[in-house]
Amino acid sequence: MEGLLAGNEDAVRALYARYARPIYTLGLRLLGSREAAEELTQDVFLAAWRKAARFDPSRGRLSTWLMTIAHNLAVDRLRRETGASRPHLVLVDEVPEVVVADEEASMIERDIAVRALSTLSDAERRLLVRAYFGGLTAREIAEADGIPLGTVKTRLRTALIKVRKANVDKERLL
Amino acid sequence: MTCVQVRESLAELAVGVLPDEDRVEVERHLRWCAGCRKEATELGSAAATVAFALPPASMPAGLGERIVARVRRAAGAPGSARRLRTAAAAAVAAVVAVAGLGWGAVMAGRADRFADRAEQVELRQAEALERFQQVLARLVPGAELPEQETFLGRLAPAGPGMLGGGAVLQLVSATRIDFAIVWVNGLDAADPDRFPYRVTLSNRAGEVLRVGRIDELDADGGAQLFRQFEGHELVGYTGVQVVDASGDVVLEGAVDQTPTTPGP
Repeated sequence: MEGLLAGNEDAVRALYARYARPIYTLGLRLLGSREAAEELTQDVFLAAWRKAARFDPSRGRLSTWLMTIAHNLAVDRLRRETGASRPHLVLVDEVPEVVVADEEASMIERDIAVRALSTLSDAERRLLVRAYFGGLTAREIAEADGIPLGTVKTRLRTALIKVRKANVDKERLL
Repeated sequence: MTCVQVRESLAELAVGVLPDEDRVEVERHLRWCAGCRKEATELGSAAATVAFALPPASMPAGLGERIVARVRRAAGAPGSARRLRTAAAAAVAAVVAVAGLGWGAVMAGRADRFADRAEQVELRQAEALERFQQVLARLVPGAELPEQETFLGRLAPAGPGMLGGGAVLQLVSATRIDFAIVWVNGLDAADPDRFPYRVTLSNRAGEVLRVGRIDELDADGGAQLFRQFEGHELVGYTGVQVVDASGDVVLEGAVDQTPTTPGP
């Protein structure tokens, strides 16, 4: 990170090699075009460079930090473009399936993520995806499914806690 | 919002769908509540996992180099505002440290103490500028600035009964975008009729450039302004005034733009 802070090109390349693809993939999924995804990826790295001094390793992993920047930027962009107070994300119905570990599994982050999501029930996974990729608020999900708002909030939180626990357990094994 | 209410909203915050009106409240709470902040961090980390699980897309050719070039441009850009602000804060710290002033004495709004000891600051100006150069050189790679391009000035109460103090730092450069940073302290924050305060630079011909307006002061009557002057050279703009809403000059001072600064 010190290298990134100093604008060190090798540091930028190293980060790019490890994290650009998942960031670009997220951009493509949320924004729906390759141009927008590329722009988002560039913006994420620029934002990371600008915010490098504020990255606190004691409060989370670098990968999480970058992906949070990416998701926030994408959501902000969608909000700007739609003028809505909440995101109207595309591809709501495209639930990313949990893919079998393949040659890409060498990407450590993805391996951890896939395994963590596999600990969720189908309902929990769908809920998480509808919110994270679909931009649906807890209230909208509650109304659509005809279940109490509190229940949706609790389920969403439970799902995230399960993912978090799986991540922690996996990190212990690494 | 209570911690219980906040925690009910943290999952939605983590996945980016908390409605704006709630998000503002929750984020305000998180600024001071370490317990809720910890949970927010953990849930945010879990949410990011969802993105990492996506089947990876193929990457556009050359994107990596385009990103490196963009960061390089940003890193080398003259007057990269964010970094200069950081540098500016460090420069003030340097001034304070050099003069033997406690940081707290300045930031606590002790305008009288600040004014009393500001003479010492001026006496050590050259040394402070040297440190400022070092800070800038470290924060803005390749942007080593000639010492003669940065100048300091002090702001003092404009008349009897007036309170406050401050400092001004200018970059006056032939090759970079000029900027000015103004710190004020000990101003009257209690009287709403005095807002906004406005800060201006002027030259001998009476031409005036706006640095900016101060719409709020911290608890110590302090604020910081930063402005880059694209298309304007600051050469000769040595007069500095802070004026309240009724037009009364509250603070004033001058920046010494002579290339050689007095040594200790």
